[in-house]
Amino acid sequence: MNPQTFRAPTRAALAVVAMMLISATGHAQSWNYKEAAKPFAGTKIRVLDEITPLQETMKTLVPEFVALTGIQVEYELLNHFEVINKGQADMLSRRGYYDAVMLHGFQMGQMLAANAIEPLDSFMKDKALMNPALDLGDMIEPANKSFGVFKGQTYGFVNWNYNMVYWARQDLLSHPAEKTAFKAKYGYELAPAKTFKEFLDIGEFFTRKSGQMLAGQPLKTDFYGILHEGITGGATLVSVWENLMKNFGGGLFDAKGAPAFDTPENVAALTMWAKMWQYSPPGQAEYSLVDVPTVMGNGIAAQAIAYSDFVLGVDKPGGSPLAGKFTYSGIPVNADFKGPRSAGSEPSGIVINKASKQKAATFLFMQWMIDKDTQTKLINAGKGGVPIRTSSFAMPVLGGANAAFYTAMKSTLAVAESKPKVPKIFEIYDALGPIVQQVGQGKLSPAEGAKQGQAKMTAICKACLL
Amino acid sequence: MTGAAVRAGQPTGGGADRLAIVPAGLPSGRRWSDSAFYPYALVLPALVVLVLVSLVPFCYAVWLSVHSVEFGQVGDFNGWDNFAKVLANDRFWNSLRVAAIFMLIAVPLEFVLGLAGALVLNQRVWGRSLWLPLLFIPSMMAPIVVGLLWKIMLAGSWGLLSVNVIERFGWLDGTSVFASSDHALIALALVDVWQWTPFMMLAFFAGRQALPESPYRAAAVDGANGFQTFFHLTLPLMTPLLVVIGMLRFIDAFKIFDSIFILTAGGPGVSTESPSVLAYKMTFEQWRIGESAALAVMVWVAFFVLCSVFYHLARKRLNAF
Repeated sequence: MNPQTFRAPTRAALAVVAMMLISATGHAQSWNYKEAAKPFAGTKIRVLDEITPLQETMKTLVPEFVALTGIQVEYELLNHFEVINKGQADMLSRRGYYDAVMLHGFQMGQMLAANAIEPLDSFMKDKALMNPALDLGDMIEPANKSFGVFKGQTYGFVNWNYNMVYWARQDLLSHPAEKTAFKAKYGYELAPAKTFKEFLDIGEFFTRKSGQMLAGQPLKTDFYGILHEGITGGATLVSVWENLMKNFGGGLFDAKGAPAFDTPENVAALTMWAKMWQYSPPGQAEYSLVDVPTVMGNGIAAQAIAYSDFVLGVDKPGGSPLAGKFTYSGIPVNADFKGPRSAGSEPSGIVINKASKQKAATFLFMQWMIDKDTQTKLINAGKGGVPIRTSSFAMPVLGGANAAFYTAMKSTLAVAESKPKVPKIFEIYDALGPIVQQVGQGKLSPAEGAKQGQAKMTAICKACLL
Repeated sequence: MTGAAVRAGQPTGGGADRLAIVPAGLPSGRRWSDSAFYPYALVLPALVVLVLVSLVPFCYAVWLSVHSVEFGQVGDFNGWDNFAKVLANDRFWNSLRVAAIFMLIAVPLEFVLGLAGALVLNQRVWGRSLWLPLLFIPSMMAPIVVGLLWKIMLAGSWGLLSVNVIERFGWLDGTSVFASSDHALIALALVDVWQWTPFMMLAFFAGRQALPESPYRAAAVDGANGFQTFFHLTLPLMTPLLVVIGMLRFIDAFKIFDSIFILTAGGPGVSTESPSVLAYKMTFEQWRIGESAALAVMVWVAFFVLCSVFYHLARKRLNAF
């Protein structure tokens, strides 16, 4: 090949690449929310979200988006049950009162089956709308994609990464007399539980009656080793499913999406679940995910599995007399199971209502919510939070005194997956919730519970996944 | 009525004390109030409101109950399928049992305590003017507040009464009030008694106050004692009120939702799942709207029959109406 002829196309190709790079960089530099929102200035969008401290902090930032874009945002916060009911009702009725609705991962199957969610792909391809610096590669995975991507289409981005962590009383675990007694009884050091076997041992060790000694002090009330959500409904089943069953190699569905509740793995997991209840407070069957931190903050339990965003409400100055005396870790695993570990989580996000008349403006708001800049402000404003971006973990506010807490959260988020897309998930939850509770209370044996659960699941669906 | 045909505001006979309007078509000099349509015109506004807010939704529920409804979208007519599904659902029968037990504990207690309290209040007890307004407080509370209040009192291991009384004295070994399927429903019924007994008391007290005094004076002259006066005078005279209030409370108790939803969410297991809680889950969580409409229709029909029987019995046996 003539060097001249070689050089000419090479130069041309280099020029094209350079132009593309300049163009891309230029686009990235020139794109901003203000310009992108110009066609929608004055437009009003309604967004329905769930109320927790995280969203309340987000609400304080929303005026910044309004000032930046001129898009008016009615950002409504409702409690967990209401946001589900009202949001679903609006989306399924095709009324379109809300342009965007917060959906928990478990709702996605039902809403996708009902064709009530607007896919985002066309907006993401629109250079005028899509923020080229959004950096979706920074989003925590597998939470983000397992929540929002289905059959090759994107329906949402994770913006609430609810997750569970192991939570224990550090003052008890590090007490010299307790450590010595524990080692003498169980043959290993007392430390935050890494396995469910250790979780159970620590639970047994610290379950004591009123009048007995605990960390050198006589107990005024009974004390318990393990605290867990136990109410019918709520997230009890979710925790059993994701923290126990999956860590024992089981789950609710087989690889084809058929019910698989009566497997030996699930029976083993339910057996562990029933044992955990032996060291739990008497009221556990009525504890919701809100009660768990309340009871832990009251100081009557040594260990718990709890949603991390609620934990922060207790372990802060003024949150509880025990604030600062806790320690955290990832969800314990089953040492005998060699498969991938699992941890309870509920990746959730905002989706665009199919009936919305302001989809493009809503898409801009969705991007702004997960924008790196917004997330940085959100976490700083909340003096912490639950990251949705990997880079957020580098923020100083997520370290320091709370380093153990965020390390535990990071451990859960590393494996946090959204629920599979199951249109009848609510029926399944409703059928299995009472069974799981009764197994915990000892009213059903694990094997009986598994058998009953399988029968109920099979009556609801035979191929359960969308 | 058309303006041309109306002599609005003109007295039309019988003195200036009555204001009658003569519509078109009525012979001159005849009052509108004499028209056969007059009573119907008077009840028409109430009837319209009743039809709009009650009958239309009910008819819509009946219509939904015989259709398949997928994700809120009404599909094909499916006859009795939804009814069959509900009847085959053991949760439906369980919810009826829960509601029946709840009613049988709560309403008689509220009734007896309310009546007893009303009779005590009628005795001009000390501080009555102070007690009366205080009695309104529980029934004026929003059900959600009542639920939260009793959660704070009875929550296992942190509730005020749980920690200081129930657990301290070991009354419920290894469980708590709302975590025990043996006790949760009873506790919920007692919460209802707490909330609604004062209302019953006030209603019965008002009814007792409205009774004429002359029969009591006559009874006193005849030497009737307190029991005789109560059973032969007070009870018969108050029967219409007692029947109506009792019936309303029965219906209301059957519909119990809020306190159960807050305190137990229908658990432990399904031991406190009332028809309303079940219907709520079927409708708003699972979107089985056809089935929940069928459930609502069946419960309505059952109650209609029950109340009709109750009404006829009360009218014939007790002369209550």
